[in-house]
Amino acid sequence: MSDFQIRLSGSGGQGLQLAAEILAGAMLSVGKRVAQSISYEPTSRGGLSRSDLVIGDEAVDYPLVTDLDCLLILDQIAVDGSLDIIRPSTVVLMDSDRVTAAPKVECKLVSMALVRAAQGIGNVRTANIIALSALAELSGFCQAATLRQMVEERMPPRFVALNLDALAKGIELARSAGSPE
Amino acid sequence: MSDVAQSEFNIRKYIREDLFPHFMCPGCGHGIALRALLNAVHNLGIDKNRLAIVSGIGCSGRVGAYIDANTFHTTHGRPLAFATGLKLARPDLEVIVITGDGDCLAIGGNHLIHACRRNLNITCLMLNNEVYGMTGGQVSPTTSTDRFTTTTQSGNYEPVFDACKLAEGAGAAFVGREMTLQTPALRDLIMEAIAHEGFSFVEVLSDCTEVFGRKNDMGDSMEMVLAQKSGFRSNSYGTAVDEPFKPRGMKTGVLHRSERLEYAAAYQQHHAEKSST
Amino acid sequence: MSTDQNLQNLQGNRACALAAIHAGCRLFAGYPITPSSEIAESMSAELPKVGGVFVQMEDEIASMGAVIGASAGGVKAMTATSGPGFSLKQEALGYAALTEIPSVIINVMRGGPSTGMPTRPAQGDIMQARWGTHGDHPTVVLVPWSVEEVFAETIRAFNLAELLRTPVIILFDEVIGHLVETVDLARFQNPQITDRKWADGKIEGFKPYRDPGDGVPMMARPGDGRRVHTTGLSHGESGFPTQNAGEVEKFMSRLLGKIAKHRDEVERIDARCCDDADVVVVAYGITARAAHRAVSMLRDQGIKAGLFRPITLWPFPESAFKAVAEHARLVLVPEMNAGQLILEVERLVSDKTTVAGLNLFYGEPITPQQIVEKAEALLSQ
Repeated sequence: MSDFQIRLSGSGGQGLQLAAEILAGAMLSVGKRVAQSISYEPTSRGGLSRSDLVIGDEAVDYPLVTDLDCLLILDQIAVDGSLDIIRPSTVVLMDSDRVTAAPKVECKLVSMALVRAAQGIGNVRTANIIALSALAELSGFCQAATLRQMVEERMPPRFVALNLDALAKGIELARSAGSPE
Repeated sequence: MSDVAQSEFNIRKYIREDLFPHFMCPGCGHGIALRALLNAVHNLGIDKNRLAIVSGIGCSGRVGAYIDANTFHTTHGRPLAFATGLKLARPDLEVIVITGDGDCLAIGGNHLIHACRRNLNITCLMLNNEVYGMTGGQVSPTTSTDRFTTTTQSGNYEPVFDACKLAEGAGAAFVGREMTLQTPALRDLIMEAIAHEGFSFVEVLSDCTEVFGRKNDMGDSMEMVLAQKSGFRSNSYGTAVDEPFKPRGMKTGVLHRSERLEYAAAYQQHHAEKSST
Repeated sequence: MSTDQNLQNLQGNRACALAAIHAGCRLFAGYPITPSSEIAESMSAELPKVGGVFVQMEDEIASMGAVIGASAGGVKAMTATSGPGFSLKQEALGYAALTEIPSVIINVMRGGPSTGMPTRPAQGDIMQARWGTHGDHPTVVLVPWSVEEVFAETIRAFNLAELLRTPVIILFDEVIGHLVETVDLARFQNPQITDRKWADGKIEGFKPYRDPGDGVPMMARPGDGRRVHTTGLSHGESGFPTQNAGEVEKFMSRLLGKIAKHRDEVERIDARCCDDADVVVVAYGITARAAHRAVSMLRDQGIKAGLFRPITLWPFPESAFKAVAEHARLVLVPEMNAGQLILEVERLVSDKTTVAGLNLFYGEPITPQQIVEKAEALLSQ
């Protein structure tokens, strides 16, 4: 039960599956074992979308999340579905614009304008990477250098520079937010 | 190949005689179609070990069993789907589908249009007898207007499919139609269809004396095929069918041919190009 | 912590496609359907690289037809689908069973009936996989519980299909299909591959459905000069249709009995902590992953629990299960359906054992906690 559990949630089209894939690759590259599962609705865009990771030193026995260590919420639609598995120790990072009613359970909540930051660096689609980077910085489950390496390996060449900016932006936001309450 | 082709056609070399007597009713046109097909196979010098006959369900579906080849009697409406897999797996086989108007145009209609579109090198013979004979004479998509069947007891009120126009519209590389009365012409048409690269569709105008002709007072087999002859226009190398839903105005002979790239060749070419770049 | 070159993150659906190619599959015919489409997508990319053929057919029925046609031609072939498509393939599945043409069918189960919940997991096709096509027929169904096991069982499915000349179905649910796990495929480098017994020897007098002893006839390869007839009509040893009662009875007995003759190769189970178990949880697929966790949670509380997991679901591994269930007070069968495998389980236990289901079918996987709570509630009764 010492597995580390992360959920990236929001609405379809926000790039959460890609972010989870990059994180899974990053964890593999540092010798961890992962189980990554998805939940989505039968629409290509919009609707609830989430990607969960269970990360362990050994092969993961139960691959689905039960008690989250970290939770990203990029859209209001994703709030309710996670309430049962948020613990007082869970680090919850939510988008301050897209999430209007924060989860009403005890947790370590951090709120940031992630999507706005993505618009700020020139592409709203980088919100997923900004969020991933910020979450990793806040809770320390993955080194920034490892994520950078994975973005360079996995992203199409023309998007690498943009996503490296997004990683940097995420770290900047996390540092200015201070430690989670 | 040439040895066989030069010898005289002897149907006994191509049939499973031990299965006789056959199941067909007296006067049924399917036996003539079978003979024309085997004569074409002979004339083309096709090795019967390399011949695969795929059929569906119905009277047409039972014809294939009499051919001394690799014969597959599949499920209702699906011989083209089965044949597609077989031909893709074994391009060395000569794959010929024998189907009927119900098998091909009703339950198997979707497979027909996509087989035409895909253009795999298969020959499809549709034996059109205007009726579901095996099940007792129900209306089919090619039953002529006003005809009596067991499910149109006051006469058929549904429009009729023009199978050749359908096949051409869907992209078949070769389309032709012939009646069983013109046996040499039918044989030659089938030869051309088999020889043509790509998907070839041949509608054979057969006749069902027993459950269709009798119910419609159409007389015996000879009367039926002569009536058929008077209703069709021989039009070798004609172009498109100009009067849809009017079977009596349909043309016979080669109705369409194109040199569109055959599916397996297209597949090979595409993936060879992609892997070399 | 060191990085291992053999480890990779692999999705269940993709693992299935890669394993199929590894097992010798050279034709895939399919039709898009959630949540199985990644199998077709992977096949479309991978098969041309090994000289194989991918074809997206016009519908589910055509896909199954093309697979059977390809296999009849001697090429190992597979299709993949989900509930609605699996329903559509049933007639052709029966044809493959009767004509004894090997094939592999993947059904990534989703919520049903009808269109149901396309993106949600379910285990509602357990009985359809067993009895879906009309008439009595042999059935082999495998149910992997992890990405690595999807890989292993896909290879085994092809081997069993060839060995038994029968369609083999793999059932997994949406969670397993879309699950990405870190896997080590090194042990699959040189898998054991079974190929069909092709007819050899004398062509004259060859009987395509004669029993050589193990219940599985030798298959004639089109082009080998045997020129056999293959039909979905009931047939005898000659392959030609018959309605002769004696011939049909003999044929059907062989057809239905051939799986039992190879029971050792077909059956596969995973039993954990069952030797002293008072409570045996019978589970498969993703539910077995939850049950496995639940068993250790129950053990932590001092409850002697065990997991019995059929990897081969049909034929159900009867004797292995009976041996485990014999001493159990309680057999709990959690399923993402309204109670399907439990019917088979109930049939096999004595009156002394209580059998109970945990049946949740609203599109969410069953959690370890739900299984623990159900077991506790039953034990306190």
